Amino acid sequence: MAGTKTVRVYLGTRKGIYALESDKARKKWKVRGPYQPGGDTFHVAPDPRAPGHVYAGVNNAYWGPMMFRSKNHGRTWTEIAPPLMSLQNSRKPTMGEGAVPAPIQAIWHIEPGPASEPKTLFVGVDPYSLYRSDDSGASWQPVPGLNDHPTKAEWNPGNGGPCLHTILLDPTRPSRMYVGISAAGTFRSDNGGESWRPTNKGVLVDFLPNKEPVVGQCVHKVVLDPANPDTAYRQDHNGIHVSHDGMESWKRVGKVLKSDFGFVVAAAPTRPGSAYFVPLQGESRTTWGGGLEVYRWDEKPHKFTPLIRGRAARGDFGTHREGIAADALDPPGIYVGTTTGQLVASPDEGRSWIELPYHFPAIHSVSVDSGDFVR
Amino acid sequence: MAAVRLDGMLRQFVPHLEVTTKAPSVEALLDELETKYPRLRLRLRDETGAVRRFVRIFVNGEEIRHLNGLETPVAGQDRVDILHSIQGG
Repeated sequence: MAGTKTVRVYLGTRKGIYALESDKARKKWKVRGPYQPGGDTFHVAPDPRAPGHVYAGVNNAYWGPMMFRSKNHGRTWTEIAPPLMSLQNSRKPTMGEGAVPAPIQAIWHIEPGPASEPKTLFVGVDPYSLYRSDDSGASWQPVPGLNDHPTKAEWNPGNGGPCLHTILLDPTRPSRMYVGISAAGTFRSDNGGESWRPTNKGVLVDFLPNKEPVVGQCVHKVVLDPANPDTAYRQDHNGIHVSHDGMESWKRVGKVLKSDFGFVVAAAPTRPGSAYFVPLQGESRTTWGGGLEVYRWDEKPHKFTPLIRGRAARGDFGTHREGIAADALDPPGIYVGTTTGQLVASPDEGRSWIELPYHFPAIHSVSVDSGDFVR
Repeated sequence: MAAVRLDGMLRQFVPHLEVTTKAPSVEALLDELETKYPRLRLRLRDETGAVRRFVRIFVNGEEIRHLNGLETPVAGQDRVDILHSIQGG
């Protein structure tokens, strides 16, 4: 809506979609929803190419994976076609005998295409697959160069299932893109998705006999640096890593923390050279010591800084892999959604925090549309 | 014609919850319903054609999983119920 000055946060929750609105101060929020009530919503993705357009992947327990689009900032939603598994490409089950058809179990991540391709969308699904639409989601095509990758027999599902959960587009090289798959690792394409190669060098795997496999890494989430897309920040099962060469190699930087296990990572457009993480205890998958902790990694001076001090949000929290977002304002707002339904937000990059006085269902995903402030 | 009753939660996909059919089997009935109501496609069956895990289909009160599955015949005075499982939290 032209002329509005609204920041919008979208939540994908265990029981539907929520849309939150605030002004530039980002201290008071209006909550709308749930939309698609009861629908297990793994991801909600605002489309930066089309103001007000938002996509959602809703995994209905009864009726299966569904996709929806809103053209009015999440006020009303219309069902669009979901991708369909190419059954001739179905994988063999991990246990048991013989190949069985493997329909799509869940929609995990929706990524709007580049600005130059306004109708292109990418979707990552369980089991282990990437789909592409060039007509705004009216129809979908599998990406065989990845979905039938020769290393696929070595991929194994994590606790979330065999999911493709991360899709990243290089804004400076239209033909380059990346995906993250659990537990296969990261892959890069330099020809628009036609062919792919694993990019996990430097990420160890402590749960396999071979600690340095080409694939099999349990990547949890990756983001690209907003100013330098050759730099990537990775929250892996095996810790926090940074790459400076387009994911050709990774270096673990998180060992200085008491734990660098976790699921989430975000980067803010107004803070290039930085990324935000929520470290968790490896065994319990919850925060340490009675409160939420958020850390900022800075490339210069190459260190972590805690952004929540003094237990601003008390409790034992978990986060799912899409559970953090940063907006495009300066200072950036940071939003952390928990598996117990709290949204903890800072309007000023951690100098102050609020816990929204509204308890949501378990939050799977947090995404933000900074609206006209950045257009 | 056989009488078909659809679960109330399916109202988001179909205009009527009670229909009649001359389809000779449950599979033919689902084909017919999906043709008539395209939004029902993929909601009762996945892309392999298998009935979704929490969808339950009964012919004269017997669940088709205990009859002949999708090949269970449907005839003149039969009643078909398409329901969903009770499922927690």
